[in-house]
Amino acid sequence: MNTLWRDLSLRLMSIAVLFIGLFVLCLQGKADWTFFVMAGIYTGLVLSGCLLEHLFHYQGDRLLLPAIQLITVIGLVFLTRINAALAWKQFIWVSVGLGLFYVILWGLKDYRRLGEIQYLWGLIAVVLLFITLIFGVTSGGARSWLRIGGLGFEPEELVKIALLIFLAVYLENHEKILRIGTVQWGRISVPDWRTFGPFLLMAAFSLGILAAQKSLGTALVFYLLFVMMLYIVTERGFYLAMALPTFLGTGILGYVLFGHVRVRVSAWLNPWQDVTGGGYQIAQSLFAISGGGVLGSGLGNGIGAVQVPAAATDFIFAVIAEELGFAGAVALVGVFLLVIFRAFIISAGAGERLGQILAAGIGVLLATETLMILAGVTKLLPLTGIPLPWVSYGGSSMLIHFLLLGLLVNISAGAAEQKALLGAKGKELGAG
Amino acid sequence: MKVLRRLAVMLALSFFALSLGLVYWQVARAEELLAHPANRRLTLMESKVIRGGIFDRDGEILAQTVVSDGIAQRVYPKGEMLEPLLGYATLQHGSAGLEGGLADLLLGLQHATPGQRLQRFLELPRQGNDVVLSLDAGLQKIAYDGLKGKIGSAVALDPRTGQVLALVSQPSYDPVDLDQHWEEIIQRAGSPLQNHAFSLFPPGSAMKVVTSVALFNAGIDTTDLYHCEGSAVINGQRISEQNSKAHGWVNYHMALAASCNTYFATKAVQGGAARFLAAAGAFGFGQEIPFELPVARSSIMNASHGGPLPSEMDDNILAASAFGQGEVLVSPFHMALITAGIANHGVIMTPYIVEKVLADQQTVVYQARPKPWLTALTEEQAQKVSGAMISAVNEGTAAPGALPEVQVAAKTGSAEPGGEVLTHAWYIAFAPAAAPEIAVAVMIENGGTGGGAAAPIAREMMRYALERK
Repeated sequence: MNTLWRDLSLRLMSIAVLFIGLFVLCLQGKADWTFFVMAGIYTGLVLSGCLLEHLFHYQGDRLLLPAIQLITVIGLVFLTRINAALAWKQFIWVSVGLGLFYVILWGLKDYRRLGEIQYLWGLIAVVLLFITLIFGVTSGGARSWLRIGGLGFEPEELVKIALLIFLAVYLENHEKILRIGTVQWGRISVPDWRTFGPFLLMAAFSLGILAAQKSLGTALVFYLLFVMMLYIVTERGFYLAMALPTFLGTGILGYVLFGHVRVRVSAWLNPWQDVTGGGYQIAQSLFAISGGGVLGSGLGNGIGAVQVPAAATDFIFAVIAEELGFAGAVALVGVFLLVIFRAFIISAGAGERLGQILAAGIGVLLATETLMILAGVTKLLPLTGIPLPWVSYGGSSMLIHFLLLGLLVNISAGAAEQKALLGAKGKELGAG
Repeated sequence: MKVLRRLAVMLALSFFALSLGLVYWQVARAEELLAHPANRRLTLMESKVIRGGIFDRDGEILAQTVVSDGIAQRVYPKGEMLEPLLGYATLQHGSAGLEGGLADLLLGLQHATPGQRLQRFLELPRQGNDVVLSLDAGLQKIAYDGLKGKIGSAVALDPRTGQVLALVSQPSYDPVDLDQHWEEIIQRAGSPLQNHAFSLFPPGSAMKVVTSVALFNAGIDTTDLYHCEGSAVINGQRISEQNSKAHGWVNYHMALAASCNTYFATKAVQGGAARFLAAAGAFGFGQEIPFELPVARSSIMNASHGGPLPSEMDDNILAASAFGQGEVLVSPFHMALITAGIANHGVIMTPYIVEKVLADQQTVVYQARPKPWLTALTEEQAQKVSGAMISAVNEGTAAPGALPEVQVAAKTGSAEPGGEVLTHAWYIAFAPAAAPEIAVAVMIENGGTGGGAAAPIAREMMRYALERK
């Protein structure tokens, strides 16, 4: 009973944030009562989810979901503030996403069975990317959208899951050879072509297509995912050492070949030089962030929400940093760090290798996505437009990230069950 | 597992770097970015604030925002006489003058009370701060009446504190409904939007008070007699007296009183360029004047000839500069400061016009404190110059500025702006000479002689200021 109250109070905390935020926006006339209906439905989902967890004796991670829910409601409140029409849709995506999360948590009996169709995942990833390249629609500079009927959809989000599972299974299967290597290369032993080939091929292919459709941000996320997962599994610095020159090489090549890369870089180096042209986005983002100061302008009082381009998607963090100030922005960043650490803890606690690799991979994916967009809007790195997970508007991203979360929590629940089982066996043995 | 831990540490550091980035933008660079012209936050912030009022030293309203039926309107009860000093603030044409320069006080951004901070935080409509000036509206009126119809400016300071008591520039304009009249105003002759007290002009003989210090420092015997023949040739250059008047045998005292050009030119060349430049530097030439409004930097030489305060100059230009011709340029505001420095025993006080800032009509959030700016000359030297300026009033060129009951010390100037036009008329003065309470500088562009055109205005200003206490 005690844990139920603790869980409920954590969930209610984020619900309170949602309702207080909507109430403030309602007072300012930026939201109407229909949002309370949406929030009510969402609250119902959150609370019944929590009760079901207890009914089914959920034993996995208890912090991850409440943390994500806190991030999600902050996103919902700010979307309502920035663009009410988009927020309405986002409420639906969040609710569907939460449902999807529970489907994965309880519907997926054994996540290891995902590995049985390893190459199918690779194929799905390749086909999705290929279809996007051919039939894709350009939006926001990148040709990364598919339109089916009236619904837009970003396949690269789904590719994230397919690639992640493919990679995890591949790395589990070839861990030994990748670690030790079979071919001597001077003083270093490297894996043979038959082992390493599929990995390189997959990496080159997916990154190539993403670059071709100008999804540079996603390409970079995938690249880091490939490299970091390889490093985590093999624990060999050699792979990291190889990745850096490759990255710099392609980066320089991209800079020389593509005009939009050069524009991005010069806007990053000196956004003030051309504040109405190339530097507009980043300058407006920085104006918004700096306008927040320490405590922020207060919810609904910022100017960035109307001034910053793509405020509802890539730049939503600038709006949050303006209205909640340094205090709010750092708190949000802290919750993201907590989520990533929980993923690593789940990885460390998973009883078997595939679970470990998958959980670590999800942690790395979330970390790169979060860091890249946040460092982009604060001008620490050149800007690469990708959504901030669970916060930016976007159905594909929201659903995929809830799927990833479901997988992560499923692994943690599985590990907990196994531990309980082992514990029970141990007791039996002891009694016997 | 070891790798995972290492990765976690790396990520934690990255997130820490990210928060340092936030500190950088949100704390360290916040003010600077707020002031960036492409950032619209300040303009939008302004429109939510009721601008504070501007009052003179006795609480007379100079500018005020009146809200009726939810519409805020800026009113200027004194009309033209305070322009362009007061300036304007409109959405269409931006801001200028004190309305522009004191914007962050009037909008309550600087010296904000905790209440204002909270209102700003909650973005409630709020009241800015009221600004009380050291200005005396009555004195301003006297100066305005005297200058009206002419082109020029008049500045009155309290030499003991640096307080600006009056600052008139003509022509001026009516600040009410400025946006409607803008096109017509900017086409008027005499640049009414520009504050002539802050613009640069050749000072003519008024410069001799500065040159005096160069002579003292050079150790030139001021009791020595010099024979003025109406003109002199120095280094092949002919220096003439005004109207070629020969002053006969003069010492320093008499030369200043009679405004003898050849005496100052000859002696300055004798003393050397270094002494002259040092004296000019000590009086603030080439320096930015610390004030609430931007004042043009007074200069000895053109930018192409070594800049405002060069390291050297040849004898020909030195001879001309000694009586305020050559390339010497000074603002009337600076000339008033120079006069105030002589009046205040050699110390020029930092000029200021904001006496105090009030929040909620009564809480004082800022109170000005007088502080010295430059020590231009020693007390003895100041006494010597004052003595000569007294003679200038009693038996010299500055006589038209004399007051019946009070001893005035003054110096005239008639500066040739170049070309076949009337000279600029200068008159600098302070009174009472023994314990000065007011220092003035009046300048009328192409007004003729200092004694004729400028002195009567200065006299009326001093009379008013000394009578009213």
